[in-house]
Amino acid sequence: MVVLAWIVISGRLIFLQYIGHRQFAKVVARQQMYKEKIPARPGDILDRNGRLLATTIVSNSLYVVPQRLEDQKNVKAICEVLHLDLPHFRNRLKQNREKLFLWVKRRLSEQELQAIRGLDLSDDAWGFRQEYRRQYPQGALAAHALGLRDIDGKGQGGLEEAFDHLICGQDGHRFLIRDAHGRVIEVRNDSREAARNGETLVVTLDSIIQLYTERQLQAIIQEWQPKSACAIVMDVKTGEVLAMASAPTFNLNHPEAISESAWKNTAIASIYEPGSTLKPFIVAAALEKGLLEKYEEFDCEQGEYRMGKRLLHDHHSYGMLSVTDILVKSSNIGMAKIGERLTNPGLYESVMAFGFGQKTGIQLPGELTGIVRPLSSWNIYSTGSIPMGQEIAVTPIQLITAHVALANQGKLLNPRLIRDQIDHNYFPRSEEEPAQVRPMISTPIVSPEVADWLVRVPMTETVERGTGRKAQLEGYTVFGKTGTAQKPDPKTGKYSSQLHVSSFICGAPANDPRVLVLVVVNEPSVGENHYGGTIAGPPAAEILKKTLMYQRVPFDKSGQQPLERTARRQRNALR
Amino acid sequence: MLFRFGSAILLAVAVSLVGIALEKESLKLKRQVSRQHYQLDVLVDAHAKMKLATQRAGSPRQVLNSMERGELGVETNQQPVSTNRREMPLLQWHLNHSSQQADDEN
Repeated sequence: MVVLAWIVISGRLIFLQYIGHRQFAKVVARQQMYKEKIPARPGDILDRNGRLLATTIVSNSLYVVPQRLEDQKNVKAICEVLHLDLPHFRNRLKQNREKLFLWVKRRLSEQELQAIRGLDLSDDAWGFRQEYRRQYPQGALAAHALGLRDIDGKGQGGLEEAFDHLICGQDGHRFLIRDAHGRVIEVRNDSREAARNGETLVVTLDSIIQLYTERQLQAIIQEWQPKSACAIVMDVKTGEVLAMASAPTFNLNHPEAISESAWKNTAIASIYEPGSTLKPFIVAAALEKGLLEKYEEFDCEQGEYRMGKRLLHDHHSYGMLSVTDILVKSSNIGMAKIGERLTNPGLYESVMAFGFGQKTGIQLPGELTGIVRPLSSWNIYSTGSIPMGQEIAVTPIQLITAHVALANQGKLLNPRLIRDQIDHNYFPRSEEEPAQVRPMISTPIVSPEVADWLVRVPMTETVERGTGRKAQLEGYTVFGKTGTAQKPDPKTGKYSSQLHVSSFICGAPANDPRVLVLVVVNEPSVGENHYGGTIAGPPAAEILKKTLMYQRVPFDKSGQQPLERTARRQRNALR
Repeated sequence: MLFRFGSAILLAVAVSLVGIALEKESLKLKRQVSRQHYQLDVLVDAHAKMKLATQRAGSPRQVLNSMERGELGVETNQQPVSTNRREMPLLQWHLNHSSQQADDEN
């Protein structure tokens, strides 16, 4: 019996020491060793002049250990301080009473933290954990372009999402040795792997121009009460986006108050029929192919022209119009006749060459391609519709990019939002790890002569004596094109006479374009006159004026006074 | 024999003491390193908070309205205070003479 007992004990010892050794050693290590994550600090986002658009600070999050919560005397006070629903919180505590960890509220504000500390809570049941909290010092500025980071620090929308892999960095870790009660008795720094903080992005946006742009959008919203509106300001020489704004917008520091409709960045994620703003590209293509002469005249049939079964109309009846006048007066019949010369394959080739129907690569999530139907499904209607900007859907970013090509002597540039990528300490990156910034890519589409003529003659005259007269500026020769596109009525499926997309694109100075501004207003609901030149023209011109003065672009019209002293001083101060 | 034994014991004790002293020194240095890591974290956080506060106070949204109404006058230095790109441009602002006088009077 004794021998048998000894055999059993020996067998058990052999099992513990040899057979089960590895498994038990693992259990011990797991109980003692704790791998603690060292979170990486997300990088900042700066505007082109170094103004801080997004940064990260440490904030405290409050948790509770429900299992150790003996009395609930402080629960009511905590709910009052943190603005929590008391019955709901009590219910959560009840449901999780066996658990060892439950978040009460994450990322407390400084006031909330001080108030909680004043409650003198028991250390056993309540505790703080430090977490990174994203802050946007400019508030709602450039909200759609920036995007935000969610409660778990993951980028949602905008640059925060597109460059999450660069901004969020790489978490590190270290090992802690704990005793049987779970208390840390040693920090093993030898096996520590430091966190690699996120990269800092320098974007092409300019906070001042962005602010001017957003102000104008707000004015549009107040005056015309549209469904949505957006505006883009782009540098003609580089394709850099100086401002990108959408309305309705939201405050990045209060994500809980963002409405569903405000999330959409309409500058890249909305499509619409461009209407007359597309006409210059068709003329450019026809001129480039030698199918059209600059000073040729077309009979605009006194406002009525039959194309197959379709009867085309102009807003006013015109007789003979030059190519310039067709654009200045925005004659649909004149454009249809130019379309007949190009034919459907030529029209298709033209719109594709200017980048429609494909993403621009703006480096923002959610960009749409627009709609250009396959050539095989085009018909005689298309020959009349495409030249007047129908049967095709574009995004605002596509449209301004294509117009930048005309203003930039026929060279299509890739629109860019990232100017530089630097490390978290704002030092440039080393040569071994260069910044992942897309270079400027320039693709010639039309000859400089054709592009220059379109900008300096028809598009300039559109502002001087055509549909864009309300966009004239003192001191600068402005060129532009209005667009008033009818939207389909959801009830009838036909074009509505009430629902419009009013747009205006303009730039200056005409002789050496520097900046281009596009304003698109979706379904203005106030008043009867929803022309692009009326609704989008004046705000676009105002944004253009402010931008040119801010960039200290010299006047190009003679007889003008130099820049106002105050404007110069303001610009200097804000640089 | 006794002397040799005593010497051996003393040597062993001396080696142990030196070992303990080295271990203590090592622990002290480890603590210093940990403390410096912590202090660095605290300073980085403080820097981030101050940077945030200055940028918030000088954000275009805050000051542009006042400037356009002529209530606030600011001007930049002719030469930058520092060419260090890590310094925020707004930190180089200073109130112009008239604004400073008004500020002093208040």
